[in-house]
Amino acid sequence: MAEAKPKLALYWAASCGGCEITVTELGMRLVSLAQLVDIVFWPCLMDFKYSDVEAMEDGEIDVCFFNGAIRTSENEEMAHLLRDKSRILVAFGSCATEGCIPGLANLFDAESILARVYDTAPSVDDSRGTRPITSFTVPEGIIEIPTFYEQVFTLAQTVEVDYFAPGCPPVVDQVWNIFQTFLSGELPERGAIIGVDPKTNCDVCPREKGESGYRVREWRRPHTVALDPDRCFLTQEVICCGPATRAGCGLPCISGNMPCRGCYGPPEGVIDQGAKLLSAIGALVDTDEPETLSQIMDTIVDPAGLSYRFGLANSLLSEIKYGARVREDEV
Amino acid sequence: MADHISQTQSFADQVRAIPGGEHLEMCYSCGTCVSKCMIQQKVEPEYNPRRLLHMVIMDMERQAFESPTTWLCSACDLCYPACPQEIHISGVIGAVKDLAVRAGYESPLDTVSVEESRCSGCGICVMTCPYEAPHLIEKQLDGELDRLSEVDANLCMGCGICVAACPMGAISRPGVSNEELREQLRVPASDGAPRMVVFVCDWSLRADADVTLLESYAQNVHIIHIPCTGRIDPEMALLSLRAGIDGVLVCGCAPGECHYKRGTVVSSCKIGLLDRMLGQMQMGNGRGLASHPVRFVQIGTQDRGRIRREVDTMLEHLVHSKEAQ
Repeated sequence: MAEAKPKLALYWAASCGGCEITVTELGMRLVSLAQLVDIVFWPCLMDFKYSDVEAMEDGEIDVCFFNGAIRTSENEEMAHLLRDKSRILVAFGSCATEGCIPGLANLFDAESILARVYDTAPSVDDSRGTRPITSFTVPEGIIEIPTFYEQVFTLAQTVEVDYFAPGCPPVVDQVWNIFQTFLSGELPERGAIIGVDPKTNCDVCPREKGESGYRVREWRRPHTVALDPDRCFLTQEVICCGPATRAGCGLPCISGNMPCRGCYGPPEGVIDQGAKLLSAIGALVDTDEPETLSQIMDTIVDPAGLSYRFGLANSLLSEIKYGARVREDEV
Repeated sequence: MADHISQTQSFADQVRAIPGGEHLEMCYSCGTCVSKCMIQQKVEPEYNPRRLLHMVIMDMERQAFESPTTWLCSACDLCYPACPQEIHISGVIGAVKDLAVRAGYESPLDTVSVEESRCSGCGICVMTCPYEAPHLIEKQLDGELDRLSEVDANLCMGCGICVAACPMGAISRPGVSNEELREQLRVPASDGAPRMVVFVCDWSLRADADVTLLESYAQNVHIIHIPCTGRIDPEMALLSLRAGIDGVLVCGCAPGECHYKRGTVVSSCKIGLLDRMLGQMQMGNGRGLASHPVRFVQIGTQDRGRIRREVDTMLEHLVHSKEAQ
């Protein structure tokens, strides 16, 4: 009898679905993948129920790719369940790794988010102060929906994670590399960040760099500039997150003449990507007049959103605001 | 050919021939520059631009090359507006330094170094350095041609602006590397009193009394001396807050008076943006952090005693926000 095929699971928590799409973009490679593994859980594409996972033995799944952040109690419950049932748990994509776009909600508290959605959004008419309730009694019994948390967590803030594969989404060739790594059985060191290169995007970016004494008097937003495809964005007064972002994506944005947004997260050795980016950008200004300086700073419309577009939930900012989350298995 | 010229030219002529050195002759040795110089006041009593200029005029080449004045001048140019002859003194000193380097002399300063295996060649250091010390080179590294930053140690003044700016943390300077500064972020808890870190640029404190004053604060106010506020990056301030410190005060020079030309501007931009981000983050809803927990103050040459007011004001603010909780 042939050896049993490795069991693979893919799950999505608080995410947009882009990570799922990137897996389907494997195209014909996905077909060959399906021949090499048993997909035992993939609610986005195949018909499985949570009860199917609950019925599994602990550690029965060989590798689980978990994308999405932890926003609700359902996300958290599934994180724990899949952790228990999986031998290897991979935080797949930026949401699971560092919070990504859902993590930007950490700029606000839960009530102000709900108030926006249910009361003050322009599309909401005649607010009645409606709020979701988590438990409701009907004649047939009690209906419960998941709780909306006060903040967004990363997967590793919730359960123990074996590997991290950043990217919004991880680019398809890296996804294929990652699958092949697991299939080969030659696993990287536990806790490793996979599907990435060691340095930052500037290391691989072919654009012409700025020269000595280059200074910025204004930051411009990409849509307001006719961008030169051969010169470093910073020398065109456009903020590029490339200097503070781990390489590995193959520069799809930069090749498309758009600055890097930073989705591959901080490079090795950097604790806080946003703070480092800010430090690099701030180093380029030049003026002795406080008023001009203030005007230059004003040209960065949303500093937190720019610097922490993908990493807010995993940032020092979030940790300072909410305190460090201590996982149950770490107590 | 160059040797031939240097043999026929006097030392003073050589200095004059370098852009910046041409003002040499106008000096009538009044010494106003010395009275303005922070290096003379704070670091090196022997430091004396007037004397250096005179050495050059007298063709005292070796003495000029060995003089600390040649190497310590950071071209802050506080002396420039004061000179009655409008001599750009740092330009003349720069010309002397240029000749000293050509003659094989090396800078005695603590300068930065780049960890090549981590440098991504982004060029931020090249762009931000006030002294054009770093430049990008191509180099074989692990069998591949890599673009890296290389620092000319003779141009580097050791301000640390690039250390803070490097988004990879690949640059360090002895005494103020990332690791060394992080080590200092431990402030002992003290009976509920707010804990505060003051990063102070040593050049910004003009009066000896101000420097001594800083030592008199209790344990809950921890002073960290840095060469320039340009060395501070927002990550350092956030690490302080994460370590449980309630407030971070960064004290630097007034604009136009920065010892390293642009450190104070760079720093006030970074701390300003950080302040805006902390505001966006609505910190008050969480741990109950004081409003504006990271502040930047600029202390001018005329601001004797101001450091005490600034530290006390911040401390008071932190006490109030602790009480309000």
